Amino acid sequence: MSLVHLANVCSHLNNATRARLSLTSIPSTKLHLNLCLALQNAGLISSIVRAGPEPPQSHVLLGTPLVEEIEPVTQGNVASRRLWVGLKYWQNESVLGKITLISKPKRRVIIGVEGLRDVIRGHRSESVAGLRSPGENLFLSTDRGIMEARECVEKKIGGLVLCRVE
Amino acid sequence: MNVSRPARCVFCSFSRAAAPGARVPRRQFHLSPVHWAESKAPKAGVRGPEGKTLKQITQNMKEGDFKAYTSEEKEALAKHYTPEQLAAIETGEAAISPQDLAEQFAIRKDQMKLRYLDDLSVIEPGVDKHIRAPESNSDPHARLKTEEELLEDFSRFFAEMPPDATAVDWVRFAENMRVTVGKEESELNPHSVLIPSLFAPGESLSQDPQPEKAATKLENKPQESEEAMEALKRLRLATGYSTAQIRGLKLKTLVQHSVVNQTRLGKVRRMYCLSIAGNGNGLLGIGEAKSEEATDASMQSIHRAIRNMQPITRYENRTIYGDVKGKVGAVELTLMTRPPGFGLRCQHLIFEMCRAAGIHDLAARVTRSRNPMNTVKAAYQALMAQRNPEDVARARGKKLVDVRKVYYAGRT
Repeated sequence: MSLVHLANVCSHLNNATRARLSLTSIPSTKLHLNLCLALQNAGLISSIVRAGPEPPQSHVLLGTPLVEEIEPVTQGNVASRRLWVGLKYWQNESVLGKITLISKPKRRVIIGVEGLRDVIRGHRSESVAGLRSPGENLFLSTDRGIMEARECVEKKIGGLVLCRVE
Repeated sequence: MNVSRPARCVFCSFSRAAAPGARVPRRQFHLSPVHWAESKAPKAGVRGPEGKTLKQITQNMKEGDFKAYTSEEKEALAKHYTPEQLAAIETGEAAISPQDLAEQFAIRKDQMKLRYLDDLSVIEPGVDKHIRAPESNSDPHARLKTEEELLEDFSRFFAEMPPDATAVDWVRFAENMRVTVGKEESELNPHSVLIPSLFAPGESLSQDPQPEKAATKLENKPQESEEAMEALKRLRLATGYSTAQIRGLKLKTLVQHSVVNQTRLGKVRRMYCLSIAGNGNGLLGIGEAKSEEATDASMQSIHRAIRNMQPITRYENRTIYGDVKGKVGAVELTLMTRPPGFGLRCQHLIFEMCRAAGIHDLAARVTRSRNPMNTVKAAYQALMAQRNPEDVARARGKKLVDVRKVYYAGRT
């Protein structure tokens, strides 16, 4: 799990949303894919597709990537794969907003259920600030996959705090 | 046949205080205090002028309470109805026995009931249609009396004045004197084409009209300069507010200092003003202006603030949604949402803004620079930067449900 790459991904997504891009690509890793799936689950991004160096073909009207056209991943082409992230905008504002890394490559932040309960109620827990604004999300890497803070509390599991979306 | 007078009076006293539907105190899902109407005036204990409850009136209704029309009432009806209509009315009255009426008397509870208790004998503004004077009352040839004609009236009054005249005679003369020539009704009860505003100045539902009081208030006001009146007129045109509405706004000049423009000819000093305007109920605007004179700059900035008023998103009409940040120049600040009863714990500039906007619970922290002008601008930016949860949910394609609006029939 490289948090250096994750930091780059967060910065890249911020830059892409500020540039109002509709589609962008990030390096293909399992961590990035799972985080993007969690983001998609929260409704923050529209699509996530693993494709080649060229952007995947999209539907003429819907603009969604055509999954049938995508080349399957093989041992030969796995090194050239990229994750293509569809970004969302609403009322001239980026839906993703600002995404910031909490754990740093030099200092990983791990939080338990007790601390997480405080955080989702809006209180600070050690170095993790509370979720106080509407629509604020915190994503954690747990032993049951990457999920949102509230889901973690539901399932009573803690984990490594990855990033916060405002 | 009409309901006897005492019962009718009791209903009149209820007609305005009645709440739509039954309200029962329940546990709240938010912390804001809820003022129950019942706590002020418990329904069961409400006593009419005669000390009777609604239930007692319903139970004690007797046959004798419903009386037939008296001969005077019949005469009065004859003025409005034709003999055939009168005959129909009498037949209808005779068809229902007073015993039935007394037995079946009840306050309606069905779907089509009126949402307020009323015996419909009084015209209420806002609920009932306005009664207009007939069009024939207007007189296109009416004109104001000339000085000579008025003088004639006065001389006639003095000539016909009894020897032991009192102030009462004078008042009667002053009240009855007409100032126009033409049809009498056109002056005293003119036909109105438009529906007049609900309340005249100084008039309210509970109070009788008190125009005298309002008039003295206007007279006591200091006369404003012509320029100011002109500016106010333009503001009214631009915003659509009436003068009374503009006077009701919360206005304040927060920042005032002189600025200097260096030219070849020397320094040109001018006054700078930054003002806020709010209605105390969710609207807030800021305006800035420069002028040679401080009063002029202040007035201009206030008028610009009124023009710039925009709705501020508020949570439960008392605080803001979440924590918001603002940054203008080197001023960085955070406005933080707070629970009910917390108050406005922030510096004076932000306090004034919140008061004008109608925010009652808020904390603020101004970091880095604390320049007053930029603080106000940054606070306004932060207030406008709030995100509405409904919009967030819509953008993410999520369904958002406010549980306070779902449980207990949406009564919070």
